[in-house]
Amino acid sequence: MRTLFVGAALSLAALSCGKSKPPPPAPLKELVVKKVAADLTVPDPSAAFWNDIPAGVVTLLAQPMIAPRPEKTTTESVLVQAVHDGTRVAFRLRWKDPEISEAGRLGMFSDAFALEFPAADGPPPPVMMGAKGMPVHLFHWRAQYQRDAEKGKPTMEQLYPHMSVDMYPHEYKTADAGAKEHAEQYSPGLAEGNPQSYVKAGVDEIIAEGFSTSSVREGNGSAGRGAWANGEWTLVIVRPLAIAGGSTLKAGTPGNIAFAAWQGGQGEVGSRKCVTMAWTPVTIQ
Amino acid sequence: MGKVKNWHVGREIEYPYAESRPKKQWAIVFDLNKCIACQTCTLACKTTWTSGKGQEYMFWNNVETKPWGGFPLAWDLRILEKLGRQEWSAKGEYGGKTLIEAAPQNERVLHFAPQDEDWMYPNVGEDDCAGAPVDGGGHIGALPHDKWFFYLPRTCAHCTYPACLAACPRKAIYKRPEDGIVLIDQSRCKGYGECVRACPYKKSMYNPYTRTSEKCVGCYPAVEQGIQPQCVVNCIGKIRVMGFINPPWSAREDNPIDYLVHKKQIALPYYPQLGLEPNIYYIPPIHADREYLHQMFGPLVDGAIQRYRELPNDPVAQGLLCLMGSTDRIMHRFTVDKGVAAGFDDAGAELVRVPVTENIFERPAFDAKYGAIRNNTP
Repeated sequence: MRTLFVGAALSLAALSCGKSKPPPPAPLKELVVKKVAADLTVPDPSAAFWNDIPAGVVTLLAQPMIAPRPEKTTTESVLVQAVHDGTRVAFRLRWKDPEISEAGRLGMFSDAFALEFPAADGPPPPVMMGAKGMPVHLFHWRAQYQRDAEKGKPTMEQLYPHMSVDMYPHEYKTADAGAKEHAEQYSPGLAEGNPQSYVKAGVDEIIAEGFSTSSVREGNGSAGRGAWANGEWTLVIVRPLAIAGGSTLKAGTPGNIAFAAWQGGQGEVGSRKCVTMAWTPVTIQ
Repeated sequence: MGKVKNWHVGREIEYPYAESRPKKQWAIVFDLNKCIACQTCTLACKTTWTSGKGQEYMFWNNVETKPWGGFPLAWDLRILEKLGRQEWSAKGEYGGKTLIEAAPQNERVLHFAPQDEDWMYPNVGEDDCAGAPVDGGGHIGALPHDKWFFYLPRTCAHCTYPACLAACPRKAIYKRPEDGIVLIDQSRCKGYGECVRACPYKKSMYNPYTRTSEKCVGCYPAVEQGIQPQCVVNCIGKIRVMGFINPPWSAREDNPIDYLVHKKQIALPYYPQLGLEPNIYYIPPIHADREYLHQMFGPLVDGAIQRYRELPNDPVAQGLLCLMGSTDRIMHRFTVDKGVAAGFDDAGAELVRVPVTENIFERPAFDAKYGAIRNNTP
């Protein structure tokens, strides 16, 4: 009877253990990316298959190398998962951020996240933005860009509803008013083709060879989708597995990945960010 | 962090990039005794450069009333407050810290970040008088008056050591070697707003429509053709002259800007203690509060005012002041001879010739020929 009782208690414990919250994810020593049968074309942070994918934690610190720097670490850790389907790799990232920030007016900055990969063979480049001759390839998602894609780029009237303006010369009713080239003359960023000034899809692809060198380049069809709930972002960034002239990541060969997060509500933008301090090894199975 | 020579403060200062003076340095001299705040310069600039979306409240050139006005709000007080009390010897050597030297560990430049609301009142304080309050019994009873204000027209100063350039983590801001004009590369800027924070004069402004920062471009397309900027050529008070300034060790007496700044020393940079070597120079207003002028222009302001008062005895300086606003072209050289002032371009061609004293014609009030009283009603 006594034995039986103990046995029952043990099996009860085992049952309840299965139903309570899982043990906290361990630090991510290596990101092992398994193949799944799921469709990764459209990033979906709440897709069911993610529940079966192991997660690991990476630790971030306030970017320490170059001023301006944040005064304190705002994003301390990110929960990382990854899968691939043979042609695409998807990363699901979860981190705490008390508010949604989508930029817009002066001094308002966007929540953002970036994945970084070496972009040349050989020894891994310096993890902080690479170095001359040792480029890195960044996939930079911004909540602001996602808002653009979903709701359209905010108009001046939406940003400043009480603003007073008489008229814009390029909208004045003349024969050539309304022509795109005509209007862009009044918006230098647009006229110069600055990607910053155009409507975004969610993810910018960036190549850098050291601090101050990052440049947005033609994308390879990467995409991102973030969802914010209960003080936490859950973001999926999908990129092609093989990229010519960029990230050297490939199946079966050891690679590297690094992470950065920006909390726009805390004034983080540019070099004011939190970053992982070393590469995390990544293997595509 | 290296050391660079800053002649405004009479010593070497810290700057993140090596000293690299342009071949020529864009500069404007303003005579503050003549400005009436008509804002023609402001509108000339606005209609030329900033009538697009996201630029609605953007004034690359503005005129504010000192001491109460400021665009953005209290830009000067707020940066001076941040810097705190610093020491400056009467000879002009500045012993205090510049904004870059005073930068906190995590920052490149000591700064404050203006908010949206700060840019919403470009005319705040206009014509507000300083001195003893009238409703407190103050009145104009003696000279010099204790009631004062003056107008301060401002553009980007295209600093020799720009704080905006030092602060940009993307190196999207550059200073042109050919004329010293400081520009934000509109294809590279990502709108971090570091320059908006860092420029103490607050002449970098954020455009929320293009999501980039923008600033006064010194009217470089005009300057490249030998023409002065819009704010200068449209100044109806003829208070401005744009040209190229040399540092004191290579100053030329026949260069209009060098003459006013180096030879006569009647035009001074404003807030030089911030350490950026700004290249807009002001002939200080002689009737304004002297303590305030010391704060704005430094200890050399007393001498500048003294020399300005002595101009009636200086035919050359008088001639040069007559040339201000007399040509749209950039004067590289000037002469004053036998009561006639002349300005020349960089090839030596004469641009303009004006009498130092206009001829006076007296017209009798009674026209004997027609037997009529003349009057001036058109």
